[in-house]
Amino acid sequence: MPGVEAVLTHAQVRGSNRQGVIRKDQPVLVDDKVRHCGDAVALVVARDQGTLAAALGLIELELEPLEPVLDMTRALEPDAPLVHEDHPTGNILLAGELVSGRGQAALADCAQVVELALELPRQEHAFLETEAGWAILTPEGTLEIVASTQTPFRDRTEVAEALGLELEQVRVSAPYLGGGFGGKDGVTVQSLLGLAALACPGRPVKMWWSREESFLAGVKRHPARLHYRLGAESDGRLRALDADLCYDTGPYDHLGGVVMTLGLEHAGGPYRIEHVRLRARAVYTNNPVSGPFRGFGVPQAAAALEQAMDLMAQRLGLDPIELRRRNLARRGQRVASGARLDCSHGLEECLQKLAGHQWWRGRGAWKAQAGPFKRRGVGVAAVMHGLGYGPVVPDVANAKIELTPQGKIRVYSGVADMGQGNASTCLQIAGQVLNQGLENMELVLPDTERTLPSGSASASRTTFTYGQALIAASGQLRRRLLERAADLLFVASATELALLPGRVRHSASGRELPLARLAALMQESERVAVGRHRAPVSQERPTADEALRLHGLPHAVFSFATQLAAVELDELTGQVELKGFVSVCDCGRLLNQQLAEQQMQGAMAQGLGYALCEDFAVAGGRVQTPDLSTYLLPTSLDAPDMDSLWVQAHEPSGPFGLKGVGEVGMDGPLPAISNAVADACGLRAQRFPLTPERVLAVLGRPWAAGGRP
Amino acid sequence: MKLRFTLNGRPVELETPSDRRVVDLLREDLGLTGVKEGCGQGECGACTILVDGVSRLSCLMLAAQLTGSSITTIEGLAARGRLHPVQEAFVQQGAVQCGFCTPGMVLAAVDLLGRDPQPRREEIRDGLSGNLCRCTGYQKIVDAVEQAAQPPQPEEEP
Amino acid sequence: MTAVLLPSGLEELWALWEQHPTAMPYAGGTDLLVRLRKGLAQAPALICLERLKELQCIEERGPELFLGALCTHQELLEHPLLRGRLPVLAQALAVLGSPPIRHMGTLGGNLATASPAGDTLPPLYVLGAEVELCSPAGVRRLSLTDFIRGPGQVTLGPREIVGGVWVAPPSDSVRQHFEKVGLRKALAIAVVSLAALIDLTPQGVVRGARLAWGSLGPTVVRSPRAEQALLGGRLRLPELRAAADIVADEAAPIDDLRATAAYRREVAGNLLLRLAQYGGG
Repeated sequence: MPGVEAVLTHAQVRGSNRQGVIRKDQPVLVDDKVRHCGDAVALVVARDQGTLAAALGLIELELEPLEPVLDMTRALEPDAPLVHEDHPTGNILLAGELVSGRGQAALADCAQVVELALELPRQEHAFLETEAGWAILTPEGTLEIVASTQTPFRDRTEVAEALGLELEQVRVSAPYLGGGFGGKDGVTVQSLLGLAALACPGRPVKMWWSREESFLAGVKRHPARLHYRLGAESDGRLRALDADLCYDTGPYDHLGGVVMTLGLEHAGGPYRIEHVRLRARAVYTNNPVSGPFRGFGVPQAAAALEQAMDLMAQRLGLDPIELRRRNLARRGQRVASGARLDCSHGLEECLQKLAGHQWWRGRGAWKAQAGPFKRRGVGVAAVMHGLGYGPVVPDVANAKIELTPQGKIRVYSGVADMGQGNASTCLQIAGQVLNQGLENMELVLPDTERTLPSGSASASRTTFTYGQALIAASGQLRRRLLERAADLLFVASATELALLPGRVRHSASGRELPLARLAALMQESERVAVGRHRAPVSQERPTADEALRLHGLPHAVFSFATQLAAVELDELTGQVELKGFVSVCDCGRLLNQQLAEQQMQGAMAQGLGYALCEDFAVAGGRVQTPDLSTYLLPTSLDAPDMDSLWVQAHEPSGPFGLKGVGEVGMDGPLPAISNAVADACGLRAQRFPLTPERVLAVLGRPWAAGGRP
Repeated sequence: MKLRFTLNGRPVELETPSDRRVVDLLREDLGLTGVKEGCGQGECGACTILVDGVSRLSCLMLAAQLTGSSITTIEGLAARGRLHPVQEAFVQQGAVQCGFCTPGMVLAAVDLLGRDPQPRREEIRDGLSGNLCRCTGYQKIVDAVEQAAQPPQPEEEP
Repeated sequence: MTAVLLPSGLEELWALWEQHPTAMPYAGGTDLLVRLRKGLAQAPALICLERLKELQCIEERGPELFLGALCTHQELLEHPLLRGRLPVLAQALAVLGSPPIRHMGTLGGNLATASPAGDTLPPLYVLGAEVELCSPAGVRRLSLTDFIRGPGQVTLGPREIVGGVWVAPPSDSVRQHFEKVGLRKALAIAVVSLAALIDLTPQGVVRGARLAWGSLGPTVVRSPRAEQALLGGRLRLPELRAAADIVADEAAPIDDLRATAAYRREVAGNLLLRLAQYGGG
C-alpha cells in the first residue's frame, strides 16, 4: 500500500521479545497467544495518520479462540486455563504471607471482632498526555528513543534485550512528561518505537496513543478483593488481624508482584497488632494489565483496614481518632507487618492536629445543619507509606553537576519529572548548596547518554534518593570551586571565601571572581562533580521468604498521613458531595511547600475519584469504559477546597530531612470518604466506587415513612 | 480550500482540506503545539482555543469553521513578551504540574474572566469544569484564577 | 476528504445543499464530529450551520418566545428573557456539558440529536414547545412529540433543518423546576432528569402540573397519571410520594453502564419529592 513503510510482527523482533522487570513475560508483539484485549500483534509504520488507519483496517487476524480467565475466582480454580503455562505457580503470579504471634487464632480471644469484605475497582491513570514518543536509528547505528517515561534507564535495558541490541546501541531520554502517576513506570511505546525505527533506518518514527488506545493497552491500578477480620480488647487495644488481599494483575507481571508485596507490607497499617496473619496474592487473568499506580497496592490495603478501624471504634464506642492514636506503633516499635519502625515518625502529631481541626471539632454542629433530604458525615483515615525499593533491589541515584564554561551551574537530573516538580526541586537543592539562584542554573533532563543512572521516578523516592546524591555532588563542586578560587585569588584558605550568586568573593578584601572567569581557568574534568547515594534499607526480617524480600519487603523509611473527609449525601439520589477534605501529613521536612501541597492535593483528588466515580469497567475481557466520556474523572466542580497541613518530622536519611510525598496522599481518601458516608447513614457499601446507585441502596428509603421534608 | 483567518493577531492564509480538524491544523501544520489533544471528543478541554474570544474545543472544529475568525492559542496570549495576568497567576500560585492541561485551562480562565471579572470560587470551578486536570486537584488553579481576577473597584463616595 | 461547507444565511444554505445533496448538516459539532471520529456515522459532505444568521435570535413574538436553533447554549443561558421567563430551561442549560460545550453546542443540535439524555428536552416538553422546521419550501411547526420519534430519530424532510423553538412562557404563578442526576457535577450525562412546571393557587393548591423525565426511556417520558395525582393537592410529602410511586411503577428505563433500570425508576420518583420545597411548609 503506498505510504506504508513497514508492517512488522514478532517475526521481525530479533531479541527476546519479552519485557518486564521481575518476570519478563510481556511480548513486544505477540508470538504465542493473545492474553488481553490490549495486546499488540502487528506494528504498521506509515507516512501519515490516514494511511496508517487505512492500513490497520486491512489487517486480517486469524485467532484460535481459547478459554479465557476473566476473574480471580476462576483463575484460582484447579482446572482453570493457565495464562502462562511456564509459570511454576500457575495463575498465581506471587503470593505472600506474614504471620506473627498466634496469627488469626487469636481472634477467638478478642472481646470484639469486626469483619469486612470489599471489592475495589480498577483505576485508570488517565494522565492528560497519553503514552507517546519518537525514535530514530542514527547512521552510527544508535537507536535513540525520546519517550514519555518515568524509567529511561530501565527502559534502555528492556528495549535492548527485547529487540536484541547491545545496551550501548540504545539511548533513551525523558523530557517533561504530561503526567505519569506510575502508568509510565515501565515500557509503553518504547520497544514498538524501537522496532519501527530499526525497520526505517535514518527516519524518525513517532507513536502517540489515542485516548482509546491508552485506555485499552495502558496499565491500571489493580482491582482487588479484600477480606479483613480485626479483633480488639474492650479497652480499645488491637489484638489480632486476619487479612486476605487478592489483586487482579492481568496477564503480565508489570510490577504486579511488587505492588502486591507493598500492599501486604501495609496490610496492617501503622498499628501495633500482636497476632496477625496477612496474606496477599497477585493473580494472573486475561483482563487488562495491572501495574504501578500512585499508592502501589497500599490504597487497597488501607481501604479495608481503615474502614475496619472505624467499625471497631463504633463497636467500642470510641472516638475514631482516639482508637487510631492508642494503637499507633511508635518509633522503635513493631507495626503489624512485623517490622520495627526506625524512621522519623510524626503520625501521632498528625492525628492530634486533625483532632483539633475545625472540621473534626465542629462536625456535630455541621452535621446537624443538613438541609432537607440531605445527610452529612465526617470520616477519617490514617496511613503510612514506605519509600523506595526495599531491602534487595539497590535504591541508588547518581547525580552529576557541572560548572559550565559560561559560569552557570548545570544539574544533570537522572530522574524524570512527570509533573511532580522534581526538576525544580533539583535546582532548588543544588542552588541551596551552591548559593545560586535560578538565573545562574541550567537543567539537563534524564537521558541515558548525558545523565547518570538514578533509578525510576516512582516509589516516593525521586527526591528522597536523588536529592541526597545531588547534595553530595553539589557539595563536592562547591568545595572544588572555593579551593580553586582560593588558589587563583592567592587566598590562604577556601574558608575565607564566600560562594555568591555568579561569583566567589573574598570577604576580607572584597575581591571577587566571577564564576565564568573561574570556569575558564578550570579543565572540564574539574568543572564536573558526581555524587552517589544509596537509600538505607531495613535490617528487619519479618519473613524468611526471599521472594518477598526481592519484591521489596520490608521498607526502612515511611511517610505518614491522616485525612478527613466531610460528605453530604442526597437521600433521594444517593449522590455524595465532598464538602471538606483535610490532610495532615508527615513527609519529613518540606523543601518546597507549594510542591508538597500540589502532591497532596493531586493525590487527594485522585483518591476522591477512586472513592466516588472512577471505575474502569471490563466485562468478558473487553473494556466497557473506552474513553473519557465513560470513564469519569473528577472535574473542578467535584473537588472541594482542600486543607493541607504538615507535621515536619526530620528524617536524617533524607535530603535536608525530607521524606517522599508522592504517594502517601493517595492511600487515605477512599476509606476516609467511606467512613464519612457510613457516619452519615450508618451503613457501608461493599463495592466501590460509591456511585449514587450504591449509596442509595445503602440508604434505603429513609423518607418513605414520614421522613423529614 | 483556501482558508483565511486571524491567528494570534496575525492574518493567516493557507491551503488546507476543509475537513482538517482545527487541532491538527494548529499543531501539525502551523506548529502551535501548545494546543494539546487529550481525548479527541470534547471531554477533556486540553485543546481549548479562543474563537473570537470564546473558548471552544479545537478537536471538534473543522478547518472551514475558522473562516474569517480570530483565533487565540496559548502562544498568542503573552503580549510583547509579558505573560498574561492569568499566566502570571498560574506561575505564582503553582497551578501547573505536568502542564498538559495548562494551555487549555489558562484560555478557559481568560474566557471566564472576560464574562465575569470577579467570579466567586464556585463560579471559577464552574467556568473551568470543561477542562480536566489529573495532577493538581484543581485547587491551585482556582487560586490562580482568583488571583488573576480584577480586584474589587473602590466604591465611589456618595 | 469530506467537503465542509459554511453558509452564512439560509439562501446560501439551500443553494449549497442543492449542489451537495448528500451533505450532512451539523451545528456545534459536539455530537456529530464525535460520532464521525468513532466511525458511527459517515458523511460524504458536511454543512456547518453555525453561521446561519437568521437562526441566532432570541425574541418575543406576541405571546411567545422564539429561540433560534443556532443559538448556542451559552447565548441562551445568558439571555435575560430566558433567565426571567424560562428558568426551567436555564437551569438545564446551566448543567449541560461544560462551558466549551455550551459555547459550541446549539439548541437545534440538542433537538436534532434527540438523545434520551438531551438536557434541554425535558424542559421543552413541559413548556409545550413547538419546533419550527425550515426548508426551501418554507417553514412548518411541529409539536415536540411529533418531531422526536425515538432516540436519534426526528421528523425532518429532505433538506430540512430545525429553525428554532416556539415557547409560551408560563405565568408567574408557575414554579419552574429542573434537576439532573449525573455521576459527576460537570461533563455529565443525565442518569435521570426531571423538569417540572407546577401551577399553585395562592393557597398552595396544585392547579396544574407538567412533568417530564429525561433518560427514563427512549425519548422524554411524561406521566399524565402522576400529573393528575398532584392536582388539587398540596406539595407535601404524602402527595408527592403517591405521584412518585406512579412514576416508578410506569417507567420502563434500561440498564446501562451508568445505572440500572431499577435505580432510574426509583430516582425518577424520588426527584418529585424535591418539589416539597415549593410547598411552603
